Amino acid sequence: MVALHLGAWQIKAQDATEAVADRVIITQRAIRHIQERHWPDSPAQGAGKFSPGITENSLKQLVGEAVTNGRMRRNTHGRPGQLYEYDFGHPIGITMDGRPAYRLRVVVNRWNQLITAFPF
Amino acid sequence: MHLDYQISEDWDESSTDLATADETDLRYFAATGDIILREGEIDLSARWGWIPLIDFALALREIAEALSESGESETFEFTDSDATIRFDKRAQDVVISASYVPGEFGVPLMVFREQAEDFGRRLDRELRAKRPALGLNPVYQDFKLSGLSD
Repeated sequence: MVALHLGAWQIKAQDATEAVADRVIITQRAIRHIQERHWPDSPAQGAGKFSPGITENSLKQLVGEAVTNGRMRRNTHGRPGQLYEYDFGHPIGITMDGRPAYRLRVVVNRWNQLITAFPF
Repeated sequence: MHLDYQISEDWDESSTDLATADETDLRYFAATGDIILREGEIDLSARWGWIPLIDFALALREIAEALSESGESETFEFTDSDATIRFDKRAQDVVISASYVPGEFGVPLMVFREQAEDFGRRLDRELRAKRPALGLNPVYQDFKLSGLSD
């Protein structure tokens, strides 16, 4: 059910992603990190996971929409950069304890390079 | 209070050049592992393997300093999770609780501060011994994990 929601959302987010393409730099390293930690088949404990069906492109779209429409705040305890948090209104994955996750946190460094992003 | 860490065996040391790693690398990707945080029967440990320990040491030190000055409450946010550890000052104690497990315990502020500093010193010593390149990194040196006299 979570995967179906994600698929339906992808088209809507296309424009948002392009609009912020110059604001957040998404490197392959960041993608790899997110895949290792937050992909549906990741064994990492204590971390939210994206819904089955997530792809590199749909991840970029989710990040784009969260950065465009989400609430921004400074990172905490001296970490460089900002956090963006956005509620999509439908599940985009699961929380660290397995409940549906509606929100995405996007972490960028002081040069607006994506560090990580995860559902919660 | 027992405050400790365990560096992950699968920390991919070769993926980052520790002598030149920047602040983001050091606070998000280097020296990952577990946090052990318990008092008696209450265990708030986070044994997830991926917690960046340098970042945790720096945050702990900042939290201890804030509570020692005028702060009443501080919250540690994990880098890759919405889980949090909360530190509330009550009189001369710090009461510690976590979002991911029930329970809380108190520890005298002075003890908390000493243990936070000791955590940083021990981690610094182990990392420099295991990965001498880290000691050459000016960003890491500026962290002064072993204290201001470092």
